[in-house]
Amino acid sequence: MKYLKSIIAVVIFLPMLQAGQAVAAENSAHGGDIIYTKPLQSVTFSHKSHVEETGLSCDLCHAGLFEMQALKIQGKSNFTMAALAKGEYCGACHNGTMAFASTTRCASCHSGVKGGRLAQNHE
Amino acid sequence: MKPTNIDLAALANEGVENVAMKDRRHFLKMGLAITGVFAGGTLFSAVSVANKVFASPAEFADKYPYKPHYSMIIHQDRCIDCERCVAACAETNHVPHEGYRTRILQRDVPDAIGQKREFIPVLCNQCNLPQCTRVCPTKATYKNTSNGIVMMDTSKCIGCLTCQEACPYNARYFNEERQAVDKCNFCFDTRLAKGEKLTACANACPANCRVFGDLSDPTSEAYRTVHQIERAVWVLRPEAGTKPNIFYTKG
Amino acid sequence: MSDEVKAAVLSLVGSDGLVWERLKSGSKGYYLLLMVTGILVAAAAVAGVQAMVVGHEHFYNTTREVPWGILISTYVFFVVTSTGLCLVSSIGHVFGNENFMPIAKRSVFLSIATILSGFFIIAFEIKIPWRMAIYNVISPNLTSNIWWMGTLYGVYLMFMLAEYGFLLLDKHRYAVICGFSGAVAGIAAHSNLGAVFGLLMGREFWHGPYMPIYFIASAMMTGTSVIILFHFLAYKVNKEEMGPPMKHALAITAKLGVLLICTILFFTIWKMVSGIAGQPAGKYEAVMALVKGPFAINFWLFEIGMGMVFPLILFAGSKGKNLSMMFLGAASMIIGIFVMRYDLVVVGQAVPVLHELGVNEYKHLLSYSPSLYEGIITIGGFAMTAFLFLIGEKLFAGHKMSQH
Ligand code: HEC
Ligand code: HEC
Ligand code: HEC
Repeated sequence: MKYLKSIIAVVIFLPMLQAGQAVAAENSAHGGDIIYTKPLQSVTFSHKSHVEETGLSCDLCHAGLFEMQALKIQGKSNFTMAALAKGEYCGACHNGTMAFASTTRCASCHSGVKGGRLAQNHE
Repeated sequence: MKPTNIDLAALANEGVENVAMKDRRHFLKMGLAITGVFAGGTLFSAVSVANKVFASPAEFADKYPYKPHYSMIIHQDRCIDCERCVAACAETNHVPHEGYRTRILQRDVPDAIGQKREFIPVLCNQCNLPQCTRVCPTKATYKNTSNGIVMMDTSKCIGCLTCQEACPYNARYFNEERQAVDKCNFCFDTRLAKGEKLTACANACPANCRVFGDLSDPTSEAYRTVHQIERAVWVLRPEAGTKPNIFYTKG
Repeated sequence: MSDEVKAAVLSLVGSDGLVWERLKSGSKGYYLLLMVTGILVAAAAVAGVQAMVVGHEHFYNTTREVPWGILISTYVFFVVTSTGLCLVSSIGHVFGNENFMPIAKRSVFLSIATILSGFFIIAFEIKIPWRMAIYNVISPNLTSNIWWMGTLYGVYLMFMLAEYGFLLLDKHRYAVICGFSGAVAGIAAHSNLGAVFGLLMGREFWHGPYMPIYFIASAMMTGTSVIILFHFLAYKVNKEEMGPPMKHALAITAKLGVLLICTILFFTIWKMVSGIAGQPAGKYEAVMALVKGPFAINFWLFEIGMGMVFPLILFAGSKGKNLSMMFLGAASMIIGIFVMRYDLVVVGQAVPVLHELGVNEYKHLLSYSPSLYEGIITIGGFAMTAFLFLIGEKLFAGHKMSQH
């Protein structure tokens, strides 16, 4: 029990004391989850899982692949599964080698209409 | 134990391709009967169930001689909950917003490895042994004898809602506008009867998740998907004994 | 119409005929009760008609997942009561057990009153009742338990009306024939009502041969309590003392009640045990909802306590002599049984049919609670029984059995 408490304390207070500011800045730097609605509802892209959890650097995506503006990319007419399969957009990494292929695990990226609505309600 | 006089070595080699044509047709028919007893979620081994069914042959096609025998195969892992099917259904069949004929359910498994959620489309199972038609006091809901679709004759519906109680799939609802229970009929009146080949939902699906087809036609995709031993095919609530015509599979 | 008949009719319903004479003999309290129950019935009728015209979904709390609510359970309650009255009373005047003779006439009348109350309620529950009147006849589905139940209860009502008529006219032989046919129709109808629930393969809590059997047994149990309750009240309304045969009849009825309570307790125990042992999917969740879930108070306090244990103690403790104790036991039992019917209907639907899929939508028990309108109509049903009972006491002069 004691052990657990100290872990909780560390988890909560450490980031607050030192790294806290940096993390918060980064968080606001890349914004929250992005939910695509075109061509269909709803695909969720999470900076949190790509940057914090997987540890990818900004340049991997923001040096040509994506701009730093949410939903800009869905204006393109070929933002589709076919393009992803050819290695464009998310497919640059989601090709089965760097990350799971975009032809698999459909419901990982596709959070669904209900999922999208839920996320929007949280904001 | 008395030794049996069956040549085990020969049996082991007997693949489907070695079975005489007539036997094979029989065998495949059995395959369909098998899929009727797969548990939702938990699958029996297809082969062992096949043996069971052989012991007490049930002539599926003779018992349910629909032509065409409409059916839908749902490739569950392809569903992305875009809900185009739900919208298309509502528009085509004038489903009021408080009801639905088809719906996407969501299962979250937070501690799964890899994908952590899945979507499960549900609709009327157009059962071969429907409970709803059995309990309807006025035959307002009935099984179409030529194509197996479970239909509604709205003018006879008294609104006792026993069919809603009887349905193990929650596929029925009371439509206040029509003053009758309403349900999926594979778009029979709105599309199939007008010569369309697909239901609105199957037509709208961008992921080819819903494969609509004819089980009485051995060349159809639906038939070929269901009649494979090596593919896991299951139905919802097999224990309710309704022998559904909506099959689920992955891949 | 011949003058003779005219005179006979006039002597009954004319301005100073027998009927008016009898109706005018009530006390102030009697008229007050008559008025209150009459108003309640009227209120229920208005509420029901409004729901029917404007649309049930605006007034009832039933949903797609829980299509049957308190109106169905109240209907079940009333037809259970009616069948029970018919069966218990038939022991006497149909099957010739003298002990039960004195209660026969009033019980037959009450079984008519309760089935009418049941029909009154179901008319507001069924969404399009007039279609039923047409298509039950021209498009019958013989595999449907609902169809059989409805039809057989129609037949049952006819027999019960005829039986009561013959009892009034002292045509005992015909009354026995009608009583017997009524009892047969009642058992058939009532077991079909059990089968409406019991044959639904997709509803584990209901499914099985248990329901039809249970329905008949619990009808008899309900019958005993209603007989005791209303006979006690009747003698209060008529301000009369019970004679020894009537007292004896009620004592025997209470004894029968004890036996039937034990039977239903036995049924209930095994129903619960079979739902818990091995945790059968679907059934287990429902049974646990009763044992320690949202229906625990309903189950332990009302069903077990008020419905069975308390009446058992009072009936047994009264030794058939203490009428007040018997009355209290009967009243408590009726409340308990009402809740029993409610739980039977609602708990049977509480586990979502697709629960086993493990999807977010169907993870939890479904809930239902009656709306105001459903409440008004339910009360109206009880008021109708009370109203008919009150009228009946005066109109038929305390349902006295003529001596042979
Ligand atoms: C795995 C790829 C990936 C990585 C790594 C990544 N981003 Fe992004 N970022 C995206 C995508 C995709 C978008 C949305 C672009 C669009 O919709 O057109 C985006 C959008 C943004 C936006 C705009 C958000 C808004 O709400 O308008 C900002 C700011 C941003 N990123 C900052 C960052 C920073 C800072 C980092 C590094 C810490 C980073 N990103 C790392 C993929 C990535
Ligand atoms: C720079 C490469 C890169 C790009 C571009 C990229 N991802 Fe990823 N993504 C990854 C890696 C690496 C992982 C984690 C490894 C894995 O799960 O296979 C991942 C994981 C994911 C996950 C699973 C996260 C979890 O918590 O389970 C989702 C969902 C996802 N990405 C969606 C997207 C979407 C949508 C896009 C396009 C908008 C995208 N990704 C673009 C590299 C990328
Ligand atoms: C790596 C993430 C990812 C995975 C995995 C993924 N998708 Fe997509 N999908 C996207 C993105 C991003 C879009 C475009 C944005 C939108 O439509 O909201 C998209 C769009 C689509 C579209 C509409 C555009 C088109 O191509 O017609 C369909 C259909 C689709 N996906 C189906 C699937 C199916 C089926 C699977 C599984 C086999 C799948 N997706 C797996 C990210 C993914």
